[in-house]
Amino acid sequence: MVNELKIDPKLVEEFLSINKNIFEAPKLVRAPDEINLDMTPYDVAYSEDKVRLLHFHPTTERQIKTPLVIVYALINRYHILDIHPQKSWVRNLLNQGVDVYLVDWGTPTNTDRYMGFDDYVNGYIDNCVDFITKETGEETVSMQGYCTGGTLATVYAALHPKRLQTLTLTAPVIDGKKDTTVVGNLAKHIDADKLVDTIGNMPPEFMYFVFSVLKPFEQGFEKYVNFFKNIHDKDYVENFIRVEKWLSDTPPIPGELFRQWIKDVYQENLLIQSKMYVGGKQVSLKNIDMPLLTQVAVADHLVSPECSMPIHYAVSSQDKSLQIYTTGHVGMIASSFSQKRVLPEFGQWLKERSKK
Amino acid sequence: MQTSGTKKAQEYYKHVSVFWTDLLSLMMSKPYALVAAGPMRKFGTNMKKLTTELIESNDDLVEFNTRLAEYYKQLTDTWTEAQKQFNKKVPEIPNDAEHIEASKRIWIDIFENNFTNLFDSPKFAENFGKMVSTELELAKHWNNMISVLLDNANLPTRDDITEVYKELHSLKKRITKMEKDANHRMVMKNGK
Repeated sequence: MVNELKIDPKLVEEFLSINKNIFEAPKLVRAPDEINLDMTPYDVAYSEDKVRLLHFHPTTERQIKTPLVIVYALINRYHILDIHPQKSWVRNLLNQGVDVYLVDWGTPTNTDRYMGFDDYVNGYIDNCVDFITKETGEETVSMQGYCTGGTLATVYAALHPKRLQTLTLTAPVIDGKKDTTVVGNLAKHIDADKLVDTIGNMPPEFMYFVFSVLKPFEQGFEKYVNFFKNIHDKDYVENFIRVEKWLSDTPPIPGELFRQWIKDVYQENLLIQSKMYVGGKQVSLKNIDMPLLTQVAVADHLVSPECSMPIHYAVSSQDKSLQIYTTGHVGMIASSFSQKRVLPEFGQWLKERSKK
Repeated sequence: MQTSGTKKAQEYYKHVSVFWTDLLSLMMSKPYALVAAGPMRKFGTNMKKLTTELIESNDDLVEFNTRLAEYYKQLTDTWTEAQKQFNKKVPEIPNDAEHIEASKRIWIDIFENNFTNLFDSPKFAENFGKMVSTELELAKHWNNMISVLLDNANLPTRDDITEVYKELHSLKKRITKMEKDANHRMVMKNGK
């Protein structure tokens, strides 16, 4: 056949193939609404207001005595830590014999607009730790905080050091001034007072805007092309839809919590200087004396390593370790890389420091 | 010293002034009063608040439009610059599949870099912050106007609800503290 436009037949073929895939997609893929993101079985061990403490069912004999409580971030929901059987942070830890609890913040509504750091740290987190220690009979717990959950865990560790056996901070937001990401740049210029006083809670739409300016061409264009290209790869598609669903589930952040987080951590940079006050008490990072593991990712475009690493130098812990991984913010917790590198190291670290 | 004539003149002018001020005020209130019969009386009184909010929001609308225009200008300028760089690097779009794929990669890289630089820049964040700020000012006027309407209808306003949220939060805190204290006392008692 004569091709007068001199178009590579491969291009035509690819174009037609993608078109075919687009039409076939609804037959092959479940709609995000039809997917339940909960994967590894758990019990709701404790709940208070909208907050739930999830206790995951063990998959093997318990090998690490001290229970681990994961303090998830304030942005999106906890499902990313258990997004796919082969990439599940929670399941990997269970398989290593860790007793895993996780704090799910739920979806705050307008009635929660006055909830602040004090309510989250001295209220919810402390009550969860209370519950775990009572239930397990252990005096202390190990705590892991991810992203903004890392900020909350840091404040908790500084205010309640005796309650923690170990502290692990995964990409925590600590030194806002040093953050070099787009998120940090916008956070430094936002009028948090006006936003909270006018709107109340930090609305999800604002977070969607922040997501849209992070790698807009790769995330907004290429990944969808790749999705349709790979529509017949069941595993790829399932993982894609699950992550997309997770990304689109962004709860509001309680107004007062958002105000203090933006002002004290990003704008006035009080946390790293130990000048932040929570519940009337000074958050002195020198109070953190338990073993500390800080995990950062060099390609993190949400919390830059420069923002997380200063915690390693600010605490008084003698036993502390800083792990730098060649991955990204989500890659550190939900990828094949995290399964092969990050989690085995984390499990080993916990094991060595757990009560015998 | 004032003569009786001057005094009379002064009193007269004062009277004229007060007369017209009061009369104008009464005349101005007539249109309100007309619509303010029965349950609408409150609306008539509050009309002034709505007008004031509307007038004030105009200034913020102007500021918001300026910031919004700057926001789109920054996006357009960055797009133009990125396209220029791409054209320089890939002067002709090849028509075979492999080169198209490579060109797409270059296009994404160049655009991603240019836009990330923009979003990372203080000038973008500053304008964005001010744009959001004026948007919030507009939202405030809108909220105030809605509050006037709610107040007219004898429904709770935003301020009323905010007060309830605040009170709820404070109550929750007090109850939690009392529960904790009670539990602590119980443990101490049982422990002994």
